[in-house]
Amino acid sequence: MAKKLKQIAIYGKGGIGKSTTTSNISAALAEAGYKVMQFGADPKADSTNTLRGGEYIPSVLDLLAERRRVDAYEAIFEGFGGIYCVEAGGPQPGVGCAGRGIITAVELLKQQRVFEELDLDIVIYDVLGDVVCGGFAVPVREGIAEHVFTVSSSDFMAIYAANNLFRGIERFSNSGGALLGGIIANSINTDFQREIIDDFAARTDTPIVQYVPRSLTVTQAELSGRTTIEAAPQSAQADVYRQLARRIAEHTDSKVPTPLNPTQLREWSARWADHLVAAEQAEAERSRQVA
Amino acid sequence: MAILALKSRPTEISPDADKSGPIELVRYVCAIGAMQSAAAIPRVVPITHCGPGCADKQYMNLAFYNGFQGSGYGGGPVVPSTNASQREVIFGGADRLRELIESTQLVLDADLFVVLTGCIPDLVGDDVGSVVRDFQKKGVPIVYAETGGFRGNNFTGHEAVTRAIIEQYVGPWDGVREQGLVNVWSLLPYQNTFWRGDLEEIKRLLEGIGLKVNVLFGPDSAGLSEWRDIPHAQFNLVLSPWLGLSTATLLEERVHQPFLHIPVVPIGARQSSEFLRQVAEFAGLPSERVEAFIKSEETRYYNYIDGFTDFYSEYWWGLPAKFAVVGDSAYNLALTKFLVTQLGLIPAKQIVTEDPPVEHRDAIRAEFRNIDHDVSVEIDFIEDSYQIHQSIRNADFGHKPPIIFGTTWERDLVKEMKGSLVEVGFPASYEVVLSRSYVGYRGALSLLERIYSTVVSHSA
Ligand SMILES: Nc1ncnc2c1ncn2[C@@H]1O[C@H](COP(=O)(O)OP(=O)(O)OP(=O)(O)O)[C@@H](O)[C@H]1O
Ligand code: SF4
Ligand SMILES: [Mg+2]
Repeated sequence: MAKKLKQIAIYGKGGIGKSTTTSNISAALAEAGYKVMQFGADPKADSTNTLRGGEYIPSVLDLLAERRRVDAYEAIFEGFGGIYCVEAGGPQPGVGCAGRGIITAVELLKQQRVFEELDLDIVIYDVLGDVVCGGFAVPVREGIAEHVFTVSSSDFMAIYAANNLFRGIERFSNSGGALLGGIIANSINTDFQREIIDDFAARTDTPIVQYVPRSLTVTQAELSGRTTIEAAPQSAQADVYRQLARRIAEHTDSKVPTPLNPTQLREWSARWADHLVAAEQAEAERSRQVA
Repeated sequence: MAILALKSRPTEISPDADKSGPIELVRYVCAIGAMQSAAAIPRVVPITHCGPGCADKQYMNLAFYNGFQGSGYGGGPVVPSTNASQREVIFGGADRLRELIESTQLVLDADLFVVLTGCIPDLVGDDVGSVVRDFQKKGVPIVYAETGGFRGNNFTGHEAVTRAIIEQYVGPWDGVREQGLVNVWSLLPYQNTFWRGDLEEIKRLLEGIGLKVNVLFGPDSAGLSEWRDIPHAQFNLVLSPWLGLSTATLLEERVHQPFLHIPVVPIGARQSSEFLRQVAEFAGLPSERVEAFIKSEETRYYNYIDGFTDFYSEYWWGLPAKFAVVGDSAYNLALTKFLVTQLGLIPAKQIVTEDPPVEHRDAIRAEFRNIDHDVSVEIDFIEDSYQIHQSIRNADFGHKPPIIFGTTWERDLVKEMKGSLVEVGFPASYEVVLSRSYVGYRGALSLLERIYSTVVSHSA
């Protein structure tokens, strides 16, 4: 009896830290002995860079552009800890259809039964920031990923994006698609940031899988073309990623998300904005008194 | 870290693999043309989710200007379509499709609906699967196949439709096997102008030696009861150079069914008898009945051939000696085999036009190299009619006018070459074809009639 493959998709606003977080999760899972594939579903094709010394690999669509037929294995490259790295790739910005590109790349691996043949434990899809069209929703359709995690900071824009994503997942979950696993709260360093993201999580009844602080270790590791797990295995940040990876590996039950509607979201953020202004005024007042 | 994939790309790219470009006078249609494969199953109605014109174009080309076969119970103009346009492109067409399926159920009576997608939904990534699954869950007999034109031609589409029905409708195997029951996967419905008569003859032959036949497509199929019965069959018979192999492999995996692959569709007594003996041996049939059937068929066949020899020997001076075939690999191989081994004609040029998958091409070449113990033919795979016609012009037909087995696209060429044309494939726009067949024992006689009527009337 074949083991059950776990397929996970990571979504979130552009630049929020999806690829960084995903690569560290993959690295930590590989370190723990899992057979992992990381699938970059983003035309930038940079998802797996820090798993491969900062180097770009040819994407599925690069290969397809050269030739009509692609053997899926031609697009799979081994990275840190034996992680199988794949980049979907896509057309140049401003031309072609990137969404169709993602569909094609996902179909190609599925059709050629690569996941079964490689006997994987976990596949993680690192999906482009905004789910702009049907193509970018492919990883959460029935039969592909069953759990979605969203990376969000406490910035309102990131939270809006997360809430939008919840709406997308809600739609797909009705038709057998993926369910929401939880929020990975990235760049959370202060109590205040934590309060904001906690409140959003509570309002949408979503678990927070892990708080990940913003850390220079991550930047340094990235500059050396590596994940934090590889570059600074002893660091506290690496342990945060290990804990996150463990939770994801053990995660079994996802749920249909309950996003805020647009009015609720506006009211929610307005309340926090007032709160922020009040806090800032109090802070200014205090520093004036001190002076 | 070196950039090394798990498997490296072969640096040498075989020239066939990627040849694509503009095609003049096409010899197939796009993948959604497989709506006619669905319509070829009695009481099955295709539903198309595509742009305006996609479905009509397939039907007119495949079923009208190709033997004027007509649309069938649920094909052609009956086919409901979402007629997707700008709105469905921008906002997605899933809701429109849902609405169409709902209303189709109200007005059309079918045993099964097959949703086929065109380029628009496949490009924008409509989740057609989830729409169709909703209906399946409610017990509606419906399946879907993704057949956008960019995925390939109607051969690809046919395989997608077949797979969809097997995977989504036929259901798992209950462990029961019926000895002597066979599923036949052979000619492509509608694309092959004579498929109805041919499948009838193939079924007749197999029944003649004692098999029970799921012929699956065409007027001689019992429809979906045959499809539900697929897993019970003793084996699958793939009777074509490559089409149907993927289906047989799928069934081998899914329901552990063995298959017999016979690339040459039999034409004439010699080939038909050999075919039947091969099938009988695979199926483990008692030889008395098989031989008795073969004997009675051959007696009848040679009786006619006997009469034909008077004509053949008198008229020899006016009959062509060299021939060319332009067509799908199935008919091309079958005809070449018959014309060489039974009539002694000399092959001058054989061109295979359906763009078979690269992985099957060597096997197809090998079949042609083995036409007879002393005849080996080198074929070309060409889709573009300009190139096809150039290639035929440059072939050596000796001193007599050539006979070309081809399509309507060869009309002008044959006039120019002062030869004869027998239309045997898509598009055959100067043939009206109902139940005529060119295969088996009986079909071979019709083929002879057609060939030599064409030749003798040439000077009329
Ligand atoms: N916890 C963190 N600590 C420090 N830097 C971080 C952290 N998370 C992300 N970053 C930095 O933020 C930048 C953007 O991260 P990343 O590329 O992972 O985002 P992304 O969501 O994948 O972006 P895109 O949507 O463009 O693909 C990177 O330079 C990364 O190193
Ligand atoms: S190629 Fe696409 S657009 Fe053209 S007919 Fe086929 S499905 Fe329609
Ligand atoms: Mg990224």
